[in-house]
Amino acid sequence: MITVKLFGLLRIESGIKELHLEADTMKQLCDNLCLQSERISKKDLDKCIILINGNKGNKRSKLQDGDTVIFMSPVAGG
Amino acid sequence: MSLKYSGYMGKVMAVDLTTETVSEYPWSDTERELYIGGKIMAARILADHLTGKETAFSEDNWVVISTGPLTGTGAPSSARFNISALSPQTGILASSNCGGSFGLYLKKAGYDALILKGQCRKKRWLEINEEQFIFHDADELWGTKTGECQEKLIELIGKKNFGKLCIGPAGENLVKYASIVSDERSAGRTGLGAVLGWKNLKAITVSGTKMVPVHDKEQTAQWIKKWVSYLQSHPLTGKQLPKLGTAGLVSSMQMHGLLSTRNASAGHFEDFEKVSGETLAEEYNITNKGCATCPIRCARTVKVYDKTVKGPELETLVLLGGNIGNCNLQKILDWNYELDELGMDTISAAGTIAWAMEANEKGLWHNGLSFGSIDTLSSIFDDIAHRRGIGDELAEGTKRLSEKYGGKEFAMHSKGLELSAYEPRRAVGQGLGYAVSNRGGCHLNGGYLVILEGLGLNVDSQTPKAKADFTMLFQDLMEMISASGQCLFTSYAFFPAFLLNKPNGMLVKIVNFAATHVGWAVRLINKFPRICALHLPMFHHTKMFTLAIGMKMDFGHYIEIGERGYNLERMINNRFGITAENDKLPKRLTNVPQDPKHPETKVPLETMKKTYYQARGWDKNGIPKEKTLRRLKIK
Ligand code: SF4
Repeated sequence: MITVKLFGLLRIESGIKELHLEADTMKQLCDNLCLQSERISKKDLDKCIILINGNKGNKRSKLQDGDTVIFMSPVAGG
Repeated sequence: MSLKYSGYMGKVMAVDLTTETVSEYPWSDTERELYIGGKIMAARILADHLTGKETAFSEDNWVVISTGPLTGTGAPSSARFNISALSPQTGILASSNCGGSFGLYLKKAGYDALILKGQCRKKRWLEINEEQFIFHDADELWGTKTGECQEKLIELIGKKNFGKLCIGPAGENLVKYASIVSDERSAGRTGLGAVLGWKNLKAITVSGTKMVPVHDKEQTAQWIKKWVSYLQSHPLTGKQLPKLGTAGLVSSMQMHGLLSTRNASAGHFEDFEKVSGETLAEEYNITNKGCATCPIRCARTVKVYDKTVKGPELETLVLLGGNIGNCNLQKILDWNYELDELGMDTISAAGTIAWAMEANEKGLWHNGLSFGSIDTLSSIFDDIAHRRGIGDELAEGTKRLSEKYGGKEFAMHSKGLELSAYEPRRAVGQGLGYAVSNRGGCHLNGGYLVILEGLGLNVDSQTPKAKADFTMLFQDLMEMISASGQCLFTSYAFFPAFLLNKPNGMLVKIVNFAATHVGWAVRLINKFPRICALHLPMFHHTKMFTLAIGMKMDFGHYIEIGERGYNLERMINNRFGITAENDKLPKRLTNVPQDPKHPETKVPLETMKKTYYQARGWDKNGIPKEKTLRRLKIK
């Protein structure tokens, strides 16, 4: 089981903070995530910075049971 | 008098508070061309007046309140005004920018700027309109908080549509980091509220109905339309800032190790989600709000004590959150409101508290404060504003307290100004910015390089390569945006949307990689700005000048004026003893790695400083060379 956490606009717009999904690869995870809410599209996920267990990841990364994946939409300005 | 340029009202007024007399201060078209307005104009006026002997609390400390030429022209986010003087916190040049309506109304009354000289002989407030400057006794206002004071001003003036600014109890009691408040917006940093307090001036109101002249009305209106739609379609200025505000950065800072935690002893806060922008938006935010003429509308409104008030900015969330070990968001909303009401800078107040907590835990100063223990904070803030008990000491700020009790190595300030919320050991360019910034430890005046180093782009955040050159470029750019009367946040749309929308894409990887290898190119632009004699498509500011003001402007010219401003400010600071020795950071940030397993996670300040001085045309002591000052027509 993969723990998925959303941050930034993606979270505000989808209304999803965190969920648990089955996936062996990031591609599977992204496909699965898009099925969870009409408000999450592949395009939205493309815009996000991906962190797997705190390290930078990408759409081709492999996943292991127990991983935590963070999707964060770009931010700036303070 | 006919002016060469539009956008200006053509009058700078010098108000002698001691004699309660007013005269016009000479300011020519050439000066408008060279120094534009806002903080650069203020720096020129103060450079012509200050000798290096004055102190913040003296009659010779002139306060310059200045607008930019774009204020009142309808340009996006252009209702900003600037206040400059000597800072009681740093002893050097202070400048603080505010989005309240005072600046707009100052122009409607027919003035580009005010210079406040001397000191009122008794407690006063000043009413300005198109014809008169009227001094009133302020006994009735003295002691009031900023909200109540502004309510009373509305009653006293008898209408609502006028500009106002005032100080709270903190300014009256000379708290070193007291702010000036206009509407719900603050000129927060550098303690200028205390300067007005010392001058016995509680408030200023200004009203008028004059129109700001615009050079080419039709084309300006079209350009504004185009610009607003660009800002609204941009991922940062059109989405993130309106929907999450600056608070939206908290989570990203956590991911990048930038979230100042427990007096910047760490860059991650375990409970960050409880005090994040997302939580604020989901559980507390009522609506977004903006300064006048702003399509970005980055401010939040929240409920505090059953009132709808302006919510906290990112800085306050972090510095009154993880940086003092607190994860109670409602408390941060309450304190943010209370500090605005008392008229105190939230960044410096929070930074001072964090230092005091660590000093107590280390046994240096027994003050009863410790990380995470927050029950007494509201009353401590009140004590600071009224200089009661331990509040009297805390009112002096981190620098003076650490000089008295020890603990300088973890005193998070530069030149006496408490650092903002970005822990710079994971964004070393931001560290350089804090150290060399003209007003002390400020993220924006420092160049805001963190936008390249994790927040926005992902340029290698530990390498010193190219950071000095980018720092100079960004500082100069922001200097000029501010001088023109616009909000710095308009510059975030400078980063093309495709870079932000594809953070994992190949192009972005190339840009991130290339950025640290193009220092030489940035250096070339910095050295010969005139080679950029063009309007950049994602930077609408320059063409706005040409259309609305009728002033010849291009990107190169724009950053050159910014450079002039930055050097003028530095020149003033040099007169007050600032040299390379003062461009420093506390040892924790330069000598102790944030992550012991990664020795590179500290700020290699001296290496970057050397390159920065070279890029700026300063000598190794951090003094602008004669030829630099002459090239910039400062001398
Ligand atoms: S972006 Fe925010 S701070 Fe800047 S002018 Fe707009 S509302 Fe004010």
